[in-house]
Amino acid sequence: MTATRTDAKPPSGTDWQLPPRPSTRLRTALIIGAVAAFTIATCLPAIGGVQLDFGALVSHWDNGSGLLLQLFQPDFAFLPRTVQPMLETLQMALVGAVAAALLSVPLTLWAAAPTNPNGLSRRILRAIVNVIRAVPDLVYATILVAMVGVGALPGLLTLFLFDLGIIVKLVSEAIDSADHPYIEAGKAAGGTQTQINRVTVLPQVWPLFANQWLYTLELNVRISAILGIVGAGGIGRLLDERRAFYAYDDVSVIVLEILVVVVLIEVASNLLRRRLV
Amino acid sequence: MNTDQHRAEARAQLAASASWSIRLDDVSVTYPNGTKALRNVSLDIAAGEMVSVVGLSGSGKSTLIRTINGLVPATSGTVAVGPHTVTGLRGRQLRRLRGHVGMIFQGFNLADRTSVYRNVLVGRFASTPTYRNLLGLTTATDRELALRSLQSVGMLDKVWTRAAQLSGGQKQRVAIARALTQQPSVMLADEPVASLDPPTAHAVMNDLRRVNTETGLTVLVNIHLMDLARTYTTRMIGLRDGELVYDGSAADATEADFERIYGRPIQPDDRLDR
Repeated sequence: MTATRTDAKPPSGTDWQLPPRPSTRLRTALIIGAVAAFTIATCLPAIGGVQLDFGALVSHWDNGSGLLLQLFQPDFAFLPRTVQPMLETLQMALVGAVAAALLSVPLTLWAAAPTNPNGLSRRILRAIVNVIRAVPDLVYATILVAMVGVGALPGLLTLFLFDLGIIVKLVSEAIDSADHPYIEAGKAAGGTQTQINRVTVLPQVWPLFANQWLYTLELNVRISAILGIVGAGGIGRLLDERRAFYAYDDVSVIVLEILVVVVLIEVASNLLRRRLV
Repeated sequence: MNTDQHRAEARAQLAASASWSIRLDDVSVTYPNGTKALRNVSLDIAAGEMVSVVGLSGSGKSTLIRTINGLVPATSGTVAVGPHTVTGLRGRQLRRLRGHVGMIFQGFNLADRTSVYRNVLVGRFASTPTYRNLLGLTTATDRELALRSLQSVGMLDKVWTRAAQLSGGQKQRVAIARALTQQPSVMLADEPVASLDPPTAHAVMNDLRRVNTETGLTVLVNIHLMDLARTYTTRMIGLRDGELVYDGSAADATEADFERIYGRPIQPDDRLDR
């Protein structure tokens, strides 16, 4: 009895019959190399290093503190003048999101493998969507303002393109990564891919869409506040104008208003999302 | 009002289409990754037969059944169903043929987030123009067929229920109704009871047998359990490593026959009822 027990307990210093441990030398070398490369890349001005002077925080403090003081004294008498531009911003956000939502349905189904077995058209569509996504929203806005003029229209088009890229990319990837056994049943019943997509896939993936649609609506309110700075309409234009006049008490009102609206939209979309899914 | 009688009447009314024979001639299937799933299988199934295909997983049962409706194309040899040669069919013609061949699956393959009704209407795909589906239009005939096939499997009261809310047995019944809505000439079943508990498995096998006896439909069912094959089917086909190793009466198949099909001694797991 005691003998078997001592046998079962491995005495210290036993030679374990383990396979040789894989070497980690390469990984260590790579980590050291990465740290060194990062240091060099950020310290050499010749290859794009950044020069930060943290002393500026102290030496320019008088400017900063004066501005903060003004910002902390919002002039609420300015509020009525912000209503119209804020409504314009909300309209841009909503119309852009809805238009993108409508077009996103067929494009997403074409961009996902289970719903579009044709590899060529799928790849072409994905390449186009990736290009649309790669361009920053402010670049769209700047170019579109130059193309179609100052106002809400370039802002709306910017939001539309931006939303489309996000929805198609994220939802089509979600469709790709899920199982769709009912598609085989639809094929076995002699259905075309379009029939299968419309009758079975769409109700199945509808919550994925709804989630992204609401998310882009939230994003739009946030982004459209900025777009006005390059002339694309909405509350951003007013913000830029008041800032140019150094009217920081008005700027502060606008910033607070944007904050409140964004939070409200977020709360509303969270409530909706919980009910939908 | 006897519901059983209702179900029987519904089944009788569904039996509008003729039953078809199935014929495989020297069929081999090699998948793109090099796996040989079927090797030179020849098979003749007469119209109205109820046949089981028995074998372990990986023996080629699923491949065999999928060559019949062209979900898996035969690499060589020819497959014929009724008056059609499946091999070489493409596009619209292949879809029209599939409309005549009903199929049910191990995982039921329903769209869970949509209603039983819409799932059953999937069976009308082959006889519905795509634009009507896009607009969400259904004809009176489609509705009639969908409801009647739901009645024939006793699921009419669940017609507006979401498929996700059904139990496994109920889902498989809806899947049978979906196939019956096609007014098929052949019924294929790929391991229809492998995801069900024993009592439900018997109920679903009974439903399939009734489809065969009352509507005269040719039924081909994949199964890996020997007692179910013996009880519910008249003829049995044994597959092992893609080769046909048994073809004969299901009731008379001996333990030795099953051991030859399985390639190993019989185990308790090879029967549903131990």
